[in-house]
Amino acid sequence: MKKIAMAILCAASLTYAADNYDPVKGEMLSLSCASCHGTDGRSVAITPAIAGMEKITLYNKLLDYKYGRTQGTIMQKHAKGFSDAELKQVATYFSKVKR
Amino acid sequence: MMNRRHFNKVLLGATALSFAACSSMKQSLGEMPESGDRVVVVGGGFGGATAAKYIKRFSPETEVVLVEMNKVYHTCPFGNTVLAGINDISYIRHDYKTLEKKYKIKVVHKKASKVDGKAKKVILEDGTMIPYTKAVVAPGIDFKFEKGYEADSEMYAPHAYKAGPQTTLLRKQLEEMKDGGTFVMVAPQNPFRCPPGPYERISLIADYFKKNKPNSKIVILDQKGKFSKQGLFTEAWENLYGEMIDWRSVEFGGKCEKVDPRNRVVTTDEGDVKADVLNYIPNQKAGQIAFDSGLTKGDWCPVNRMTWESSLVSEVYVIGDASIASAMPKSGFSANSQAKVAALQISRALKGKGPVTPPKLANTCYSLVSEEYGITVAAVYEAFPDKIVKVKGSGGLSPMGSYKDEKIISMRLQEGAFARGWYKNQTQDIFR
Repeated sequence: MKKIAMAILCAASLTYAADNYDPVKGEMLSLSCASCHGTDGRSVAITPAIAGMEKITLYNKLLDYKYGRTQGTIMQKHAKGFSDAELKQVATYFSKVKR
Repeated sequence: MMNRRHFNKVLLGATALSFAACSSMKQSLGEMPESGDRVVVVGGGFGGATAAKYIKRFSPETEVVLVEMNKVYHTCPFGNTVLAGINDISYIRHDYKTLEKKYKIKVVHKKASKVDGKAKKVILEDGTMIPYTKAVVAPGIDFKFEKGYEADSEMYAPHAYKAGPQTTLLRKQLEEMKDGGTFVMVAPQNPFRCPPGPYERISLIADYFKKNKPNSKIVILDQKGKFSKQGLFTEAWENLYGEMIDWRSVEFGGKCEKVDPRNRVVTTDEGDVKADVLNYIPNQKAGQIAFDSGLTKGDWCPVNRMTWESSLVSEVYVIGDASIASAMPKSGFSANSQAKVAALQISRALKGKGPVTPPKLANTCYSLVSEEYGITVAAVYEAFPDKIVKVKGSGGLSPMGSYKDEKIISMRLQEGAFARGWYKNQTQDIFR
């Protein structure tokens, strides 16, 4: 019984860890996005602004590019360079930036 | 009305004031700041200016000094649009005022001559010594003068591979060239700054000729056998410019044996090629200060790819074109991506924290194949101390296809628009 409880606790903490946002990693992974999307995603040009986008919307969009459900010009080439967990970190980072 | 005595007083006061300002600047630079750490960045291009801005962002309490001899900076990216008359030179001109005022970076417009890694001082040409906690060196490239091309040859056969007056000169020569003339480019050996750069230049000059001097010819004497995005460029040249462009690889007539820049003649292993306008892009190496500071091995600077700290001199970081970044091309985008990672790692080290591992970096090289049409190559990278590897499955090129295919046309137009978007956001990220 104790073992089962322990296992459930471990599994629960693992799920929590996967969802856990690491601000240092989130920012590091998001740094190269600025080249096209503007500093912190605040685009001043035709490239879409991604600052302050809702986390789940941006995450799903990145997954769509990664798994070929949406065809862009270069976004699928970038999205495929990150794990799903990393894309979630990126989405969380931009969701926290003020527009 | 001001009399002479009064005027002299004012003059004396102003001189004393400016002298005081100068000496206090010198004094404050000559000693470490009382507040603590100082990072000195040498070179204000894509790598250096980004590093200065982002070190301040990650570590606002650190004093950041940016040493850059020029008051304005002309970007190589989009320089080819200036050559083609699409944009004015002011389009690619940027300055350091925002970095100075908004981000509180101490910008010193003087030439740095050496980084003394033992004494931990950056030495300026005028003798000023600036002590540092850490230094970032981003000197870009210098040219190899060989085969008859010397420093003053750029007046006759401009390289235009450092943007600014050279860009204006080559533009002027192209404007003055008669319709039916021949533009010859000597393209460099690998590795060099911006692998697609020469071929974007060819495309945009062809666009200019097509619209203004349709009987002209373009010859590329290439010092290598293949080049970046070759399929996409060649396809664009055939589709858009017909027979205008003649690319000769190093194996088949392109090899430059010697050059006469004044008379614009290139001697190849298959005979002389006479140009009306000659664009000689020399072979390249790291900027001179890297050699003078003991940061080079061969022509470039070896670094720990996870932190960008020099493998040869500790506490000195080398980023951008001068560094050996294995899989990453020498591009402005790469330099910007490297600078941010280096800034993050430097800021952490200043706080006694270990590096973020492994960092991820990215690059996208946009190239215009005409005023409207763009193509790309992109990749995401993972950095380890001894190597940078492209993340498997990431990256790739624009799709190939005929310019009569609507899908291809639409893609090229989109990438052309995104190329301009990239330039706006990229330069904003660096200078504003």
